[in-house]
Amino acid sequence: MLNSFRQSMAWLHTWFGMVLGFVLMAAFFFGALSVFDREIDRWSNPATRFEPQPMPSYDKVLRPAFERMQPTKDAVDAMRPRVNGDMPQRLDTVVSWSAYTTHRDPVLALYAGYEVPNAKDPEEAIWAYGTIDPRDGRVLSNDQLKIGSEFFYPMHYSLTLDWKNLGFWIVGFSALVMLAALVSGVVMHRKIFREFFTFRPDKARLRSVLDLHNLTGVVALPFHFFFAFTGLVIFAGTYYFPVGHTQLHDLHELHAQIEANETGLPHERAGVPAGLASVDDMVAEAQRRWQAKDKAGDVGFLVLQHVGDANGYVSVYRAGTDRIALVGDGIHFKASTGELIREDPPASAVGRVSEFLTGLHLQHFRHWLLRWLYVLGGLAGAVCIATGFVFFVEKRKRQHAQQGSQGARIVDALAVTTVTGMVLAALGILVANRLLPETLPGRGDFERYAFWGTWALAFVHAGLRSAPVAQGRANPAWREQCWAIAMLAVGAVALNWITTGDHLLKTLSAGYWPVAGVDLFLLFGATVAAMTARKLTKNAAIAQPRIDTEPAHV
Amino acid sequence: MSESMLSACLLSAAFASAIAGMGWLALSMPVHAQQVWGDVLSPVGARALRWMGASGLLVALALCLAVDHASMASLVWVMTLAASALAIAFALSSRPAWLRGLAPWVRVAKPRPAR
Repeated sequence: MLNSFRQSMAWLHTWFGMVLGFVLMAAFFFGALSVFDREIDRWSNPATRFEPQPMPSYDKVLRPAFERMQPTKDAVDAMRPRVNGDMPQRLDTVVSWSAYTTHRDPVLALYAGYEVPNAKDPEEAIWAYGTIDPRDGRVLSNDQLKIGSEFFYPMHYSLTLDWKNLGFWIVGFSALVMLAALVSGVVMHRKIFREFFTFRPDKARLRSVLDLHNLTGVVALPFHFFFAFTGLVIFAGTYYFPVGHTQLHDLHELHAQIEANETGLPHERAGVPAGLASVDDMVAEAQRRWQAKDKAGDVGFLVLQHVGDANGYVSVYRAGTDRIALVGDGIHFKASTGELIREDPPASAVGRVSEFLTGLHLQHFRHWLLRWLYVLGGLAGAVCIATGFVFFVEKRKRQHAQQGSQGARIVDALAVTTVTGMVLAALGILVANRLLPETLPGRGDFERYAFWGTWALAFVHAGLRSAPVAQGRANPAWREQCWAIAMLAVGAVALNWITTGDHLLKTLSAGYWPVAGVDLFLLFGATVAAMTARKLTKNAAIAQPRIDTEPAHV
Repeated sequence: MSESMLSACLLSAAFASAIAGMGWLALSMPVHAQQVWGDVLSPVGARALRWMGASGLLVALALCLAVDHASMASLVWVMTLAASALAIAFALSSRPAWLRGLAPWVRVAKPRPAR
């Protein structure tokens, strides 16, 4: 059966693509949404619908906010088994306070890590997280789920399966398979250049589906390749080969000490209390130094290490909005005196390649056209996978129908769930976000339930309606779910108008693109879904009479 | 003109250039020439279109480089190529006659008499 190289590539492409395509579909679709995660955050949290803010003053805004922070009760309870004895009432010894923002963030994320007395692993810290309005330091409730950055984005890289980092491994393995699928796809495709622009929607179903599969795969091939590859590069360093923390634990400690000696940035507390010089002055000095090197001077990340200790230091990192490479250009100051300890040196050649590759994927840059082109690339990838599923089913369903096999039917129902069902689930969480009361306790959890609930319903619906596939016909769930997408998308836009008063005429005339963009994209999606549904209905109407007469031949 | 306006204009020009380039490349292929004009081009005409197509893509690259840092510009260019190839492919499948505008000097073949 596999007597030629091309045939074995085809086997690999078909089966690996079919099995892991379900995961890749999620990675591509939610990846495309994550390009605008901060904008979706603003759509879903009306209280944050204002302009992006720069890093606020430490003395006026950040310090009081940090001092108010403590780990949640859940975090303290989770820590209990890893401590000898009891957890203290209040955690005072600060390992680090840090604040993070981007050029698209109106709100500021705060992180606080505390030393845990008597922890079984003395290196382990307990963390508190918070979000504030940087204009006045007002705390935003953690119950307000940031749907873009806290849900769609984790769906993209881990499917939100946090248990033993399982999601990271599944998504990473799928990325590896994606690379194999691209290579095998190129080998299988005999006419890459001759059929580069080819899409023949009027040809037989199998041909037109394959055309679209090839077209969306080939024209965005560099995008598909580099995103699967750079995704793996990012994962490899963090999750797959953290040798420093596993096999080489002792060496890791030694390395940390040597690094501390080299950089002058203390690894441990001195145990001697010390004051804090003006952090605002240190930030201004850092910006002056970046300016001198002709680099945009916005602060992206501010870290205070060993707060209140003589070994404390303050690190200021740049928000790298003006280039692809993900660079911090960190500048470090002694906390007690404000004197400069160190400026991060320029990266080595290998380091620069790595910065470029990670930056290419993580997109901290300020370039709206490139962001939209990334969305296009992601959606092209999603279409490529979806047409792959359809081709798989179309190719087999008549044969399976004759043999009485349910294979094509099952794959088709799963494909409906992964393609239209996933879009429905994403719309479900947005609609729930607008319907649930603002002050509902655990609001974010209910939004998550709405997402998974909608998806489960889509799965059940796809399964219940799949019987025609076993007779070699099309599953009506495809067009029905397309109609549902159109309705939910329009519904989400309408609910946004009703609950916040931000209708499109208002957001467009005010030039408030984050909210207007999400609304416009929803309406665009609704239009495409409705057109697809109409086309599928027409196809079914044409196919119907012929199918109806078929039993007479048997 | 403000700097951001200038960037927007240059990037629009890059997009237009990439679309024209991809269109010319497509028209230099016999299958697509047939779709657009109902006839194939002479080898010389096809070769000219191929060169024009390649130049269109290169001009797009130059325009991208004029706007952004080289690392950024290269990504913008690659993605612009993908977008324009998709645009041309969909134009060919639904409105092939639109592409006649890219090469107005080519004479449209007379519709063949119905048999």
